[in-house]
This record gives sequence, C-alpha cells and structure tokens, in this order.
Amino acid sequence: MMLSSIMDIDGSYMEDFFSSDPEKWLSSVRQIKNTVIGNTKQKIALLDMGIVSRLVQLMMDESTSLEMLLECVIVLNSLARCNNGSRVEHLLKSGVLIVLFRGLSHSDLKYIEACLRCLRTIFLSDVAPTDIIFQEPTLVPLLVSLMNHSRGTQECVATLFSCCCKTEEQQVVLCSSGAISELIPLLTTNVYKVQMPTLKCIAQMSYQNQAVSAEIISASCNEEQMIKLLTRLLARAKTTEMQIAAAKCLTNLHRAGVISPRDPAISIKTLSTLVRMCKKDKTIAERVEGAETLSYLIEVDLDLQQTASVADHVIISLASYFRVNTNEDDETLTSEQELSLKKAAFKAFAALGANDEDIRKKIIETENLMDHIVQAFAEANTQVQLAAVRCMHSLSRSVQQLRTSFQDHACWQPLMKMLQSNASNEVLIAASSTLCNLLLEFSPSKEHMLQQGAIDLLVDLTKRDDPALRLNGVWALMNMAFQTEQKVKERILKTVGPDQLFRLLSDPDGAILMKTLGLLRNLLSNKPHIDNIMANHGQKIIQAAVVLILEGDHPTAIKEQSLCILANIADGDTAKDFIMTNDDVLKKLMNYMNHTSIKLQVAAVFCVTNLIWSEDEDALERQAKLKDLGFQKTLQHLLSTNDSSLFDKVKTALQQFA
Amino acid sequence: MSYTAEKVEEITKEDWLDRLQNLHITRADMNRIIMNYLVTEGFKEAAEKFKMESGIQPGVDLDTLDERIKIRDAIQHGKIQDALSLVNNLHPELLDCDKTLYFHLQQQHLIELIRNKDIEGALEFAQNNLAERGQENPDILNELERTLALLAFEEPENSPFGELLHTSQRQKVASELNAAILEMEDRESTPKLANLLKLLLWSQSQLDKKKVKYPKMVDLAKGQIES
Repeated sequence: MMLSSIMDIDGSYMEDFFSSDPEKWLSSVRQIKNTVIGNTKQKIALLDMGIVSRLVQLMMDESTSLEMLLECVIVLNSLARCNNGSRVEHLLKSGVLIVLFRGLSHSDLKYIEACLRCLRTIFLSDVAPTDIIFQEPTLVPLLVSLMNHSRGTQECVATLFSCCCKTEEQQVVLCSSGAISELIPLLTTNVYKVQMPTLKCIAQMSYQNQAVSAEIISASCNEEQMIKLLTRLLARAKTTEMQIAAAKCLTNLHRAGVISPRDPAISIKTLSTLVRMCKKDKTIAERVEGAETLSYLIEVDLDLQQTASVADHVIISLASYFRVNTNEDDETLTSEQELSLKKAAFKAFAALGANDEDIRKKIIETENLMDHIVQAFAEANTQVQLAAVRCMHSLSRSVQQLRTSFQDHACWQPLMKMLQSNASNEVLIAASSTLCNLLLEFSPSKEHMLQQGAIDLLVDLTKRDDPALRLNGVWALMNMAFQTEQKVKERILKTVGPDQLFRLLSDPDGAILMKTLGLLRNLLSNKPHIDNIMANHGQKIIQAAVVLILEGDHPTAIKEQSLCILANIADGDTAKDFIMTNDDVLKKLMNYMNHTSIKLQVAAVFCVTNLIWSEDEDALERQAKLKDLGFQKTLQHLLSTNDSSLFDKVKTALQQFA
Repeated sequence: MSYTAEKVEEITKEDWLDRLQNLHITRADMNRIIMNYLVTEGFKEAAEKFKMESGIQPGVDLDTLDERIKIRDAIQHGKIQDALSLVNNLHPELLDCDKTLYFHLQQQHLIELIRNKDIEGALEFAQNNLAERGQENPDILNELERTLALLAFEEPENSPFGELLHTSQRQKVASELNAAILEMEDRESTPKLANLLKLLLWSQSQLDKKKVKYPKMVDLAKGQIES
C-alpha cells in the first residue's frame, strides 16, 4: 500500500487517524507528529493525503479532548513550516484560521500558546492574508489581552502584529486596542525572541503615523523613557539584526515628527549605527536595509545629511554596493541581490545629496557612479529604475556639476529616451524633474537636447493626465525659454500652439498656471524677441495670458504674473501697440492700479511706466492718450500710499510724463 | 607614548604559582559555578545533593531537568526515536527550526542501525529520510557519505570513519541537543565553567602570540602547569 512505502514506520497509524475510533486518534496523531517534524518530504506527502481537513474537523469537534487538540495544532504548525507558498495556501483554504482563532478563546493556556505559534508560523509566510486579523473586530483586542500571559504569547502576538500591521487604519486599530502599553514592557524582558518582534512591531506601527508615534514615544517602562529603551538596544553588543531593528524604530519615530533630528539619539546614535550597517563586512541584506533606512532617516534634514556624509566613509561604503562580483570574497551574488544593492545605494546617494552642493560634488566624483545610474535607466526592474532617476534628480540640483559631469556622461540621452518610453508615471515625473534642472541656462546639455526633439517631448508631457507630469513639462519649457535664442523661443511657441496654451492657462492646477505664465514671461523677455513674437502671435497671447487670467478668478500671485507679462510686452517697441490699441486691457490696467493688493498695483504701475517710457519712440503720443484716459491723475492719487516700493514706482512713472 | 624595548622578565614557575596563590576566589563563587555546571548538563541527583551540602540554590526548579535527563539517557542508549519523541513533546518547534540538529539526530539513528548490522533498514532509512537533506546542503552530504561509507566495511569500527561508532559520538549529539533545548528555553546553553576554561585557553594563546614566556597550563583536566 502506498502509505507504507512512504513512511519508514508502518503506515497503519494513518488508518487509525482517519478511523472513527477516538481511542486510536491520540497515538496516531502523535506518530504523525513525530513523522512530520523536521521532515519536509513527509510533510508534503501527508498534506497531499488530505490530512489537514481531517485535523481541522477534529479540532472543530466539541468532544475532542484537550490532549488531542494540542497534538493537532502542533502538527498543523509543523505542516505550515513547509516553506512553500502553495502549501500554506492549501492550509488556508482548508479553514485552519477559523479553528485557530477559535482556539484563542480556550481556557487552557498551553493550547492558546500552541494556536498562537501556529498562527505566527502561517502569518510569517508571504501568502498569508494579513488583513484578516483586523476583519473581526474582537480579534485584535483579544490578542492584546493575551499578549502578556507567557513568554510564548509575548513572542507570538508581537510577531503577529508586526506581520499584519500594514496600513494606517491598522496602526490606529492596534493603538486604540491598547497594544502599545502591552508591547513596551517587552523591550525590557532581555529575551531576544521577544524583543525582536516587538521592535519590528513598533517600527511598523510608527511608520508615517504621527498620532501613533506620539503615543509610543510618551510611553515608558520602569521610569525609563522610550528613547532610552530603544537606544539601549542599539548598542554594539547586540546583534546586527537587533541594532537595525532598533534603528528602524528610531528612524520611523523621528520621521513621524516625535523625535527631533537634533536629539543625539538620532543625530549620533541612530545615524552612526545605520552608517555602520553599510560597511562591507555586513551581509547583503543588512547593507541593503542599512542604506535604505539611512536614506529615509536623512532625506529631509540638511544637518543629518551633512553629518552622514562625513560619517565613517559612508560614501565609500555605498560606492562598494556597485562593485559586486568583483570583490575579494568568492560570494557570487544573484542578480536580485545585485539589483537590491544598487537600488539601496541610489536611494542613499539621493538622500545624501538632496540639499548640499559639497556633498553632491563628493558623490558625483565617486568612481563610475554616473555610469551606474545611466545603466540602471535601462533596467527592467522599475524600482531600480526609479531609484536611479531619483538619484540623478537629486544630483542634478548641482549647478556646477551640470557643466561637467552630466555633459561627460551624456545623461540627457537616456533621460530623453526614458521620457519617450512607457515607463510608469513615478519614473516619468522624476525624469522630467531632472530634465527641468538640466535645461537651466548654463547647462551644456541644452543644445543636445534641443536637437533631439526635446521641445516636442516636453509639449507632449503638458498634455498628460497626471498633473505632476504636466507641471514638469511646462516647467521644463519655461527653463528652456529662459534667456535663450529667438529661434528656440519661436519653436517653443509654435510647438505648444495657441490651443494648448489656452488649455494650460485653464488648468485646474494653480502651479501649472504659474509655470505657464512663467513660460510666457521668459518668452517675452528681451526687446527684439518681444517685438518679433508679438508680431507673430500677439493677439493670441494677449487673449490667452492677459485677458483670460486677469478676468478670471485667480489668486493674487497668478494675476501678478500676468501683469508682469503685460509689463514685458510694454517693454517692446512695436509690441506696445498691442496694449495701447486695446481699450479693454487699458481699462484693466487702470483698475489694477487701484487694486487692494499692493503687489498688483506695483505690477500695473510698472507696466504703465514701460508704456510711457520717455526714451522710447512715440512716447509723447502714448503719454497723451493715457493722460486722457486719466492715468496721470490716478498715479498722482497713488502718491499718498504708505508702501515705499509702490511709491517709488509711481514716482518713476510720473517722472516720465513730459 | 611608546614603549622602549625593555628586557621582559622571565617568570619562574614558583613565582607564578605564588602569584596564583595570592588570588582569592570565594568558595561561594566556585560553588555557584559547579551548581551551574550540574544543572546545565542535567545532573539532577548531583545537583540536589550539592544543594543540600553547599546551600547554593540551583536557580531553576530541578524537576525541569527531568525531561532533559530522559532525552540525554535515550541518546546515550542509542534510542534515537525515543529521544525524538521526547523532544517533540517538550519543544515541538525545535527540530523544525534547527535543521542541522535534526540531521545529526537522524544521522545518529542511522549509525545505530549500522551498529546493529541492520543493513537493509539502514539503507531504507537513508533513502527515505536523509537523501533529500544531502541534496540541499553539501556539508550534510559529506557527513552522510561518511556515515554510509561504514556499510562498505566488514568491520566498520576499524574503518577510517570508525569514530562515528564510538560512544563519544552519542555524547556529542546528546550535548548538541541539550544545548539546543536550553537555548529554546532562553537559558544559557553552555556551562559557565566551559566559558572560563575557554577564556583561560584564549589568554594563553594571546600570550603565546606575543611570545611571552610564562608557565603554561598544559593539562586542563589536571590543572598541570609545565615546568
């Protein structure tokens, strides 16, 4: 019979187990237990034989003895350690969770513990439905109440929570169920197996949640404050696993806003621990986690970035993340490991270089880094791609570096290629932001990009659904138009076209409006350009920018931009006529001179000043017309203002009148 | 601050022993070390007697030693399956977590089968239970091969792998299991006495590295210092 050929002991106990004679069950289940523990082959064989449903059936039966229940759970636990996702799924489908959750309400502590261990084993697997413990509202409070019954319950409940707490709602549920006050004392137990899942749980609960973090940080145990408890677990005498776990807690609490970045627990202890985790002597997993946590720690604080950049050769340590498979140890890495190292390094470099020019310089000078970044653009793995682009974005803030390294590495080409590809929105946003920076006036890459059809690409971005992409498209065009040659300006205008311009000026997103106006302003700078552009596109521009914006309901900042554009137009020679012949516009100018907002008044007056500038040709004619319309009078009234900048502008304007 | 090359004194054995005499270790400390050894290694009766005679508290309920004692006994009598049964009752997760330990227990069972000349049983057991482990891990495969190689000899005790058949092998496995159980219970898995001896050996090796001459303890069991 097939059974005996698989078991090395006689297979009669399987028959006993499936029999209807309760006397035989206990000894048979014990034999099954001894067969499966430690032996994967047997686990699989028994799973395939349908043993799980039988176990669940026995456990659901009210008449089953406690002894029997215990053995059944133990067998389930062992089967769940199959290390194989589909096996665990099989267990789940057979309804083990229901029977295990029921077991938590049993009166016998040993049985409760056994159920918890089994649950813990299941939820540690990737395929476990972690949100399920939150679905039944009484379950979490029950688990919290069970937590401190024994060392076993401590370990298991903490692990369960750390595996299952993934969303903000779940964090809140745990917090309001009193989990924090049960968890904190576990940190002082000095039992490694209890402290570790507790640390992981705290890290999960505090992640990006200010309210929960606030509660955590205010907790204390035996008069020792949380920060002290956590820093104690950072000590070098602890395992690296524990140091990283404690560092993550402190990092998350800091980022959630409840620990100041100036607190030495953060700026000295946590930071130095994480930097140490990036060293070559640590395992791959440790180095990846160290770098990623470090980048999260420092990415929004300049002081931390500066401290980190000089800490213990961190830049050199991170650079070695790229030198895989050429290192002295004969460890050959899987491609997955190589990629996760690279991703972590990109993140760390991006964070380090976020705000400081000197740090960026040091990073960019790292051997071959730019090559690695560019190479990663072509990675199939989008996470790595994204990290690389963000890294480049961070580094592209460095004006000085733009002139040298970026040119040398032809970063613009892969960037452009990426923008034309089907990459995710996240990647495109990061890439287009980088492009914005590269398009700043003094960048040597600008010429190249123009030749490669940058304008078409950017205009295309302005048509996308994602407002962040539209913004970057316009912003990049704005940068491109800054102090550039006339033919470039012409091309931009032509490619954008009046329709798209209108659309952008009607965009619900205020930032996009601002940048579009900024684009117009840049286009209309420099006298000959202004005249030329207005000659070709004048009507539409006046219509679009000026009328649309000034008539519409927009915040002051946006209207100010529009008036500045008008002022630029008024600076041209022939362009002035566009305003002078437009009564509507003139009326608006008059209104804005009397506006409640000083800023708008200043802008309007400045525009008028340009119109009547006495050194320009035909100034007297224009002055006469405006005098007729009452402009001079209005200006004279404005002399009574308290605002000094407005006063100066008005004075300058009045001085133009002959 | 730098050291000038001083002439390093050479110390005589008498002087050394004198210095040792002047160090004072309390009796209470020594008793504690002994009690710790007895409890860790599972000498229950000795621990109970020692408790009565010395007044030192064992620090744990001595009844908790019972299980470990039974397990050690089972292994020392070659009854591996019994030992497995007992461990699975005491700590059902242990052998699932510690694959190497489990393998060593399985290996010991195999050795016992070979010792009893149950060739067929041995082969079947190896085939069904150990083959897959050998595939996963090259070190385990190595050990497996050594064990199975015993079958090739008429007198396996005299083969190059004969040491596997010594009782010391059983001891090794018993101690490994004992330590694992203690760790599972969050207790120290080695007796402090062992750590002290290791510290002594380490200190001597450090002195040797620096080429310092000193009277070396050459026999730990006898406490004999070379002359």
